[in-house]
This record gives sequence, C-alpha cells and structure tokens, in this order.
Amino acid sequence: MLTRFFESLYNKVFVNIIVNNSSSEVYIEVCSKKGVLKHYQSSFETTTINNEMLEFITSYTKESPYYYITLLDTSKEQGVIPTCDKHHLSFYHDISTSEHKCAHKNWSYYTSKIDLYDIEKRYADIGMDMVFSPFIVLANFFKDKIDSHFAMYILITESALCVIIFEESQLLYGKYINMNYKQDNEESFLSDEIEEMDISLEDESIDLDDIDADDDIEDIDELEALDDLDDFADIEDLDSIKDIDEFSKNRDVEEEFFERDEVFSESTNDNFNEDYDRFTNIKNSLGNFYSDEKYESKFIENVYIADAVGVTNDLKRYLEEEMFLNVYVRHIDLNIELLELSKMEVKV
Amino acid sequence: MKYSYIAPRKKSALTQEMQLMLSFFSITILMLFFTYTFLLYKNYFFTNDKEFISIQKSKIESELSKIKADITLINQQKVTSEKIFTQNMVLKDSITNLFDLVPDRITLSEAKLLKNGLILYGVTPNKDIYNFMLEAPLHSIFHRTYSSFYPAKNGWLRFVSTNYIDEDKDRDVRDE
Repeated sequence: MLTRFFESLYNKVFVNIIVNNSSSEVYIEVCSKKGVLKHYQSSFETTTINNEMLEFITSYTKESPYYYITLLDTSKEQGVIPTCDKHHLSFYHDISTSEHKCAHKNWSYYTSKIDLYDIEKRYADIGMDMVFSPFIVLANFFKDKIDSHFAMYILITESALCVIIFEESQLLYGKYINMNYKQDNEESFLSDEIEEMDISLEDESIDLDDIDADDDIEDIDELEALDDLDDFADIEDLDSIKDIDEFSKNRDVEEEFFERDEVFSESTNDNFNEDYDRFTNIKNSLGNFYSDEKYESKFIENVYIADAVGVTNDLKRYLEEEMFLNVYVRHIDLNIELLELSKMEVKV
Repeated sequence: MKYSYIAPRKKSALTQEMQLMLSFFSITILMLFFTYTFLLYKNYFFTNDKEFISIQKSKIESELSKIKADITLINQQKVTSEKIFTQNMVLKDSITNLFDLVPDRITLSEAKLLKNGLILYGVTPNKDIYNFMLEAPLHSIFHRTYSSFYPAKNGWLRFVSTNYIDEDKDRDVRDE
C-alpha cells in the first residue's frame, strides 16, 4: 500500500540498451501515470559501458527511484525450443548451462547463464533489471500473424538475425545468427565474394542476373539436403508464370497493403554486402530447418521481416526471386518494442 | 517475471538521498523532541522551584512578621525593663534617702513601701526625737503623715508612721 503510494509520487524511467556491432544505443523514456512525458536517445561508441554512457543514463535514472534498465540479449548461445515440457527441452538443447523461459505455454527461449552473469557484471554500475530475448521481441511484434499464419519470421538487427518459424502459434524452428563476427573478416570476406560473383561495384546497382546463387548453395553443406526435396529439385519449373500464380494465392494481401508505405533504403555497397550476408544466413537457416530431423519440415511460402536497421529492397528481391518466398517487410522500432515488454513486465 | 530472463530489482522510494534526507529530518526531529523534553523538564523543575520558593517566601514573611512582633515586644519589654530599672533606681535612691532620713537614735524595725505611701515601724527613745528628727523630714516629702505611739517594755516608744502622697496635689504641683 505504502509502496503503491510512493510509486504514484514518482515518474517511471525506462532505459533501453541495444548493443550493436561497435556501439550501444540508449533510449530513455520518462513516463507518468498519464503517459509518456519525454524521451531521449543517444548512441555511444562502446559495446559495454563507458563513462559518457554511464553519465547519460544516471542523469535520468537519478530523477526517480523507479527506473528500469532493459537490455536486448545478444548472446550467441541463445535460441528457441518448440516445447515448454521440461523433459523434452534437453532433446533440443542442453539446458543445464542455459536460462530458459516458456512463452505462450508452447515454446521456450533460452540464453547462456554465463552470458547473463556477464551482462550483470558488465552493467554492475547501473544495474540490470530486465534482459529480453530478441525471439520474444519478434514474437510479440508479429503476434497478429503468428496466431493464424504459417510463416517464417525474421528480426533483422545491426548485429544479428533472429529467425523463427511458426505454424499457427506453434513454433517449428528458431535460430539466432550473430553477424558480429563479420566485422572482423569483412574486408577479406567481401573481396572473396566480389571476385566470385563478378559484380560491377562501380555502378552501385546490383543486377540479380549476375549473382550465381546456385554456386553458394552448393558450397553450403546444410543445403545439400535440399536436393532431396521435390519442390526444390525442380526449382526451374517454378519460373513459369503459372506456378508463380499458384504461390500468389497464399500471399498476404493485407500485409502487402501496409507494406506499400514502407520506404526501403537506397542500395549502397555496404548495404548490399550486409543484405547479401543476411540473405545467405536466412537461406542457410531455412536449409537447416528442412534438413534437420529434429524439426517438422514444412514448405515455407511466406516470410515476415521485422526490419530494425533499414534493409534495402535487394534483400526482399533475393528472397523472392532466389527462394520463391512471399516477403513482407515491416519496420520495427526495437526501442518501442522493448519498452512495451518492459512495461508489461513491471505492470505499468 | 513474464518474458525477461531476470527479474527486475525491487524498487524502493528510499534512495540513498532520501535515506540521507530522512536521517537528517529524524535527527532534527529527535533533537527538537529532546530540546522540548528538556525544556519541559526544566519548566517543571522551575515551576516546582518557584512553588517551593514562594512557600519559603511566605514562610519567611510569616517568620519575619513574627520576628517583627517579637522585636516590638522586646522593644516594649526593653522600655518596660528600662522603666522598671529606672523605677528601681529611683526606689533605691528613695530607700537610700529614706534610710538617710532616719536618725541614728531611732531604730526602724519594718518599712512598707506603698504605691503612694510609706509605713514605718520602729522604736524611738521618745516622741520629741521622733517629731524633730524624723517626722519633720517626712512632712516635707509626704502630703499626709500620721504617727501613732505605744510604749515598749524598755520604756521606749514603738511608733507607726503612715505617710501618703496625694497624687492630685502632686500633679498640680507638676502642672504649676
């Protein structure tokens, strides 16, 4: 009672920290009972916490004792399991070293305990109140689609890809792909890729005809199993207009309507490389889903992308033209989504 | 804890600043309370003292008035004693004078001093000696003198001389 009284006297301060490849984005929202009073955003050149960031956060958190620090989990050891049953969890992943949570009573997400301890230690100066999995952010963002659609859902952040496949709210597959390592090997990787693909970078425009995606597929072991699938074995047959029309029956017209407002970023060299990277990872994930016996393989037709970084139209085109998927891109503001989850967590 | 891997830390309005402020206020209130209690005690103490002093004062005042009365009484006693002393001195002088008046040949056996008179009992060889040597001076002192004689065994005369001073006459003489 007294706590509630004190709580009503103060504003609530929500602090979101999103760690990117080489920087951290901090979003602060000050809320009262009536609603949002003000919000602030700043980016810091650190992936941990530096004095500047500490000063920025504490300048707002000291305004109220009711402040909540939230972090989006970037652990490489995170993932999802299509069950909440404790006895079946170990079939998919060794949960002894992981912290796991059940979502919607039918699927679980987990992360490394060591990484959680590391987060708490790393942010000991400001403390950590909530750590959210990108999977739950993605599931919450597409909750209107997950309940009634069979599709692949992808969260694209600067440092990672988060892929989950749902069939009418039943999780079939999920994978977290950290793209941070690409930074270290970016130059060598890109030079190799450019040579192979024979792309004229001077034009700054990409012609999909120049990209030999089949070569890449052959290089990937996981996708070898795709050869066994009838649908993909006769992939050239799908090029006919008649077959494409059959796909169009499963298209999400409503989503297409909203997608018209989406503005895609201009394609640049950097964007192209990143998007091609993402395309490769998505392709691998899908191949893994089809090939791994642990998962119930079903043919994916629709892909919903939650875009937090501003992908170019190229990625959409790759997925549509190379993998024959219906791709819908929605822009996601991770800060808003994290805030929503934080507020749900503290019952605001 | 719904979706977060970790539970939010418990938030309390009692931040370090708030705790410092509360401690400060608590200490201030405690100091005020102690000061108030001290003043209350002192006030009670002073009230008691005041009552005690006022009782003492009234007691002393009553003692003082008693002492004053005593002083008055003592003064009166002193005046009286002085008066008695003077009277005694006068009486002593009078007696000395009286015995000086009595000639050697007359022997007094008793003398009674009255308020306004003197009765002498004695033996005289004869009336003449008495009349000339004792009655004459007595006459000069007292307004009325009465003498009576009766014979003694040895042939002498016993006498009783009664002498009075009339106060009215004495007053008149003083007035004059």
